Amino acid sequence: MLSASRHKQSRTSPGRSVLATKLVAAAVGLGLVLAFPALAPDPFILSVGVVIASYAALAVAWNFVGGLTGYISLGHAAYSGLGGYGTALLITEAGVNPWISMVVAAILVGVAAMPIGIASLRVRGASFVIVSIALVLILLLVAQSWAGVTGGSNGLRVPRPFGTDVLRPEQHERFFYLFVGLTLVALALWWVIDRSRLGTGLKAIREDEDKAQALGVPTFAYKLVVFVVSAFFTAMAGGMYALWFGSLDPIFQFSILTGSYLVLMSLLGGVRSLLGPVVGAVIVGYAVEFFKNQYGDTQLHLVALGLLLALVVLFMPDGVIPWVTAQFDRLRPGGTSIREVDAAQLAEERKALEEAKS
Amino acid sequence: MSASLLLQSLILGLLLGGLYALLAAGLTLYFGVMRVVMIAHSAFLILAAYLAWFFTKQTGLDPLLSLFITVPLFFAAGYGMQRALLSRLRPATLTMMSVLLTFAIALVIEGGLGYLFSGTQRRIQLGYSGASLELWGARIAVVKLIAFGLAAVSLLALFLLLKKTRFGQALRATIQHREAAQLLGIDTDRIAGFGFGLGLATAAVGGTALALDATIYPSLHWHWIGPLMAIIVIGGLGSIPGAAIAAMLLGVTQALLQIPMGTTWAQTVFYVALFATLMFRPQGFFGGRLAQRF
Repeated sequence: MLSASRHKQSRTSPGRSVLATKLVAAAVGLGLVLAFPALAPDPFILSVGVVIASYAALAVAWNFVGGLTGYISLGHAAYSGLGGYGTALLITEAGVNPWISMVVAAILVGVAAMPIGIASLRVRGASFVIVSIALVLILLLVAQSWAGVTGGSNGLRVPRPFGTDVLRPEQHERFFYLFVGLTLVALALWWVIDRSRLGTGLKAIREDEDKAQALGVPTFAYKLVVFVVSAFFTAMAGGMYALWFGSLDPIFQFSILTGSYLVLMSLLGGVRSLLGPVVGAVIVGYAVEFFKNQYGDTQLHLVALGLLLALVVLFMPDGVIPWVTAQFDRLRPGGTSIREVDAAQLAEERKALEEAKS
Repeated sequence: MSASLLLQSLILGLLLGGLYALLAAGLTLYFGVMRVVMIAHSAFLILAAYLAWFFTKQTGLDPLLSLFITVPLFFAAGYGMQRALLSRLRPATLTMMSVLLTFAIALVIEGGLGYLFSGTQRRIQLGYSGASLELWGARIAVVKLIAFGLAAVSLLALFLLLKKTRFGQALRATIQHREAAQLLGIDTDRIAGFGFGLGLATAAVGGTALALDATIYPSLHWHWIGPLMAIIVIGGLGSIPGAAIAAMLLGVTQALLQIPMGTTWAQTVFYVALFATLMFRPQGFFGGRLAQRF
C-alpha cells in the first residue's frame, strides 16, 4: 500500500500539467465530435458519421473483453445481431416502445451471454477465438433458416422510432448523438473498471492467467462479468443500429467481417488505452466506408481490410496510441519508469536472466 | 426412412468424413509445429477449387491434373508464409495473433477471388459428373468416391511420410519438443516451414476434391471454417488421430441428420458438438496434452 501511494504522489506533481493537457484535449475532441452534424456538408457524410459512431460504440464494447482480459473475440457480431433482431422483434411482435425494446433486448442478450461465456471462457487463446467464430456462424445459419421469425434472407423491417415528420437528415443527426452518448457511457464504465479491483484482476489475467489464479484472483467470475458487460453494450449498439437503419439482413447482422472490424479498430487504436478503440473506429470506419464507396462492386475492400489487419498484427500489435505515447515518453525524462509489460516482454526478460545465470 | 436411404446417408457421411479428416489433419499439423490456428486453411481450399475450375476451363483437361500444379505451389506458399509472416510474431502472443494474421490472409484470398472471378457461382462440368454406382439400393456418385479416394491416398501418404521418413521423424520431434529437437541438430525453423507447406498441400488436394462435386463461390470458405475448426477442437487441438476420429464421427452424424432435418439444420451438429465439448471436456475428446492450454 505504502509503495502504491508514494507511487501515486510521485506521479501527480509532474503529472498535473499532463492531466490538464489531457482534459483540454478531451474537451476539444468532444466539442469537435458534437459539432460534426453541423459541419457535415451533406446527409451522406452525416450518415457515414453515424456509421463511424456506431463502430466506436461497438469497438468500446468489444474492448471490455479484448482490452482488459486479452481474450480476442472475432464473434461480437453475434451480440450486436441478437440485439438488433431482439429490438426489432419486440417492437413488431410484442408492440413494445422502440427505446424500451432496445434496452430490454440488450438485457436479454446479456443474460444469454452468461451460458455462452461459461462455455467459451473455459478455453483460452485460440480455442476461444474459434468458439467466437462458431457462435456467429451458427446464428447466421439459424437466422437464415428460421424465416418465420427472422424473415430469413428477405430481411426484417424495423419500424422507425421517430414520427414521419422527422426527415432523414434530422434522424441521422439524432442517431449520431445517441451513438456518441452510448459510446461515452461505455467509455466511462471502462474507465471505472480499469481503475477498480476488478480491472486489476482482469489485467492480471491478461498478463499471466495461471499466476493470477494462483494469487487468488477469481479469474472465471471476473472474466464472466466483463464478458456479460461487453455483450450488453454490444447488443445495445446493435439495437440502436437496427432502429437507425430500419432493416436487418442475417448476412450483415451475423457477419464475421463486422466482428473483425471491431478487432482491427481496437488493435489499431490500442486495446490498453481508453480511447484506443474510438481512434481505431474513426480510422478504420472511415477507411471501410471509403473502400466500400470506391470498390463496392468488386471485392477489393476485403483485400484492403485483410492487408490492413495483417500490417497491424505484424508491425503495430500494441496499437497507435501506445506507439505515439511511447514516442512522447522517450522525450520526457524518467517517463518510462512506470510501464506495463506484457507476457512476451516478461518471457524475454526471464530468458535473458536465465541465460545470464548459466 | 427406408434402409437404402439410411445406407446411402451412412456411406455419404463416411465419404464426407474422409475429406474432413484430410483437411483437419492439415490444421492439426499447423497447430502442432507452430501453435498456429490457421483460419485461412479453408480459404486456400476454395482457392485450390477455383484453380482446378480455371485449369479445366482453360485447358479442357481433367481437374485432377491441376494437382500437379497446385500441390507444389501450395507447398511453397505454406513454406513462404511460415517463414516470412508467422515466424515474425512474438512467441508469447503467437497463438492469438496468428489467428488474426491468418484471418487477414483469408480475407485477402476471398477478396482476390471475388475480384478476379466475380461472385458468380462456378461449377466444373465433367463427363462423369452424373455417373453413380449402385450398392444395395444406395446410389453413390462417382465424383464423391474419387474425392474420398484422393483424401484417403493423401492421408495415407501423410501418415507414411510422418512415420517412415527422416523428415517425418524430424517433424514429429519438432512437434513434441522444439528445444530438444534443436539440440539434436534439427533445423526446426526449416522443418516448421516444411510442416506448414505440407499442411497447405492438403488444402490443395482437398480443394480439388471439393471442386469435382460442389458449386464454388468466393465466400464459400466460411461454410467450411466452422466445421473444420469444430473438428479440431473436439478432436483435441494438435492430435491427428483425434481430428480424424472426430471428422469421421461428425461427417456421418451430419449425413444422417440431413434426412430428418435438412442440410442447413444438420450443419448445426458441428456447433452443438463444439459447445458440448467445451462444457464437458475443454481439452477435446481425443487429444489432450497439447490442447490443455490453448
